[in-house]
Amino acid sequence: MAGELIRMEHIHKFYGRVHALDDVNFVVREREIVGLLGDNGAGKSTLIKVLSGAVPISSGAIYVHGRKVDIRRTSDAIAQGIETIYQDSALVPQLSIARNLFLGREPLRAPHFLNRMDQAAMDEVARRLLRQVGITKDIPPSIPVSALSGGERQAVAIARAMYFDSELIILDEPTNNLGVAETQGVLRFVRAARDSGHSCIFIAHNIHHVFQVVDRIVVMRHGKIVADDIDPRHTTIEAVEQVITGMSDAELGTAAP
Amino acid sequence: MNQGSLLQRLIARPEAGPFVLLLVEIIVFGSLNPDFLSPENIGNTLAFTVELGLIALAMTLLMTSGEFDLSVGSVFGFAPVLMWTLFNGGIVPLNVAFVAALAMAAVIGLVNGWFVTRLKITSFLVTLGMLLVVRGTALFITQGFPQRTWSAGGHALTSILVGEFRVGRMRLYMSLFWFIAAALALGYVLTGTKVGNWIQASGGNAGAARARGVNVDRTKVSLFVLSAVMSAFAGIISSIRTSAANPNSGTGYELEVIAMVVIGGTALTGGRGTVIGTVLGIFILRAMRNGIILVGVPGLAYNIFIGAIILGMMALHASLERRHHAGT
Repeated sequence: MAGELIRMEHIHKFYGRVHALDDVNFVVREREIVGLLGDNGAGKSTLIKVLSGAVPISSGAIYVHGRKVDIRRTSDAIAQGIETIYQDSALVPQLSIARNLFLGREPLRAPHFLNRMDQAAMDEVARRLLRQVGITKDIPPSIPVSALSGGERQAVAIARAMYFDSELIILDEPTNNLGVAETQGVLRFVRAARDSGHSCIFIAHNIHHVFQVVDRIVVMRHGKIVADDIDPRHTTIEAVEQVITGMSDAELGTAAP
Repeated sequence: MNQGSLLQRLIARPEAGPFVLLLVEIIVFGSLNPDFLSPENIGNTLAFTVELGLIALAMTLLMTSGEFDLSVGSVFGFAPVLMWTLFNGGIVPLNVAFVAALAMAAVIGLVNGWFVTRLKITSFLVTLGMLLVVRGTALFITQGFPQRTWSAGGHALTSILVGEFRVGRMRLYMSLFWFIAAALALGYVLTGTKVGNWIQASGGNAGAARARGVNVDRTKVSLFVLSAVMSAFAGIISSIRTSAANPNSGTGYELEVIAMVVIGGTALTGGRGTVIGTVLGIFILRAMRNGIILVGVPGLAYNIFIGAIILGMMALHASLERRHHAGT
């Protein structure tokens, strides 16, 4: 079995008096795609926000490769190799593909005090990455992201995470509002990411999409993890739906230790 | 690339519309009254144009980051009042008073930025409140009377900031070079640098920018500081040129400056900005103000033309934006 990449232990998160995460224990292994499921308000988004540094935990511990880390800001998560691709908000529509790819880590031309971006280098890498994630259309890296389709935007975001060697890529509803062909494209990009050594947390309301791509399913309800080792190859969508809605815990999942 | 597509790309640029409008203005006003293009008139028009222009350049970057500043006009009036009050009262030398006024403006920008980024109050409300505070302070400390500035005649600082020189019959001021330098520097920052990328990202999708580790709040606070300091700088230049630091000066400039920026093609909602467009917008509005007076249109009708230009340019930019989003 692959080693552990992320371990979250006894995580609690309070928003005022709301107990959004209640003693959550969650593990992501290396080269694994984990499907995180749950109804609205189950705590999925909060868990992802905690892991991506968007909000700090109230108590608990997070380990990366067995080493305890302090994730309080987005930059902390990025430094730990955790990249989050939020639904519809991963990219800046007005910026070009190349500038989006390198946003926050723009390469500079010498002399560096002039702060001048190395546009040629960014364009070159962007072209290569777009081919790597399977975009065969000849899309110039200088065009704004607003001109891309939803699937292409997800591809750009995933390509970015792969390029910067993020060990864990968190995809929040990556297939929302996408057509059939585009959804399949995104699922292909996710598998490509895993095959090249990355782990993913895949959140989607559409369980069919989750079943097509993940290695393991984790279910949350009322801020707790109620099943954390569901193998999609050995269960049915209906059974997982019963766990999500609380009609059945026992048959499928065991609460996390 | 063939010439047709190059032409199409030029037309699709947000600066194309303002450029054509400026050309039309120059041709129409120039043909109706030849004095419009006389060296004397150009020199006179440029003197104040570049002062407003300095504020508009800074506002371009701020608006690209998704914010705007209504307090610029009040800072334009307040900073010279502070500087000349300090100097005329014999409290500090002129150079120190100048630095103190700019530093005070920086503090005003910091407070604006802090309220907007930390307290999450919209820049409209924050800077409207600041406008009243700053204007009120300027009126209070002067009791409403202008400050003398001619006591600094011959001082090196005044020559550096707004020294007069002639090119043929055209009277120009050093402030023109400050404007050109600021336009080149800020244009470079916005289009070519990492900081510029962060400014555009902060206005285009602050959430995505934060997720990439961009310090959106610090970027915006810095731009509020820049906006206030440039307004103070412009106000000080203006006070030296006109030999008066009036606590009421700058009233209404905020809207004119914002109009210059949006006419030039910078998005009011943030994410896209153009310094070249703003320079065109500056000249469009100032040439309009000067031109309609020269051709005999009553000055009070000025706002009708400005409103019409804003509406026309917004329609054009909205159309370009749709095409931009469609990738055509």
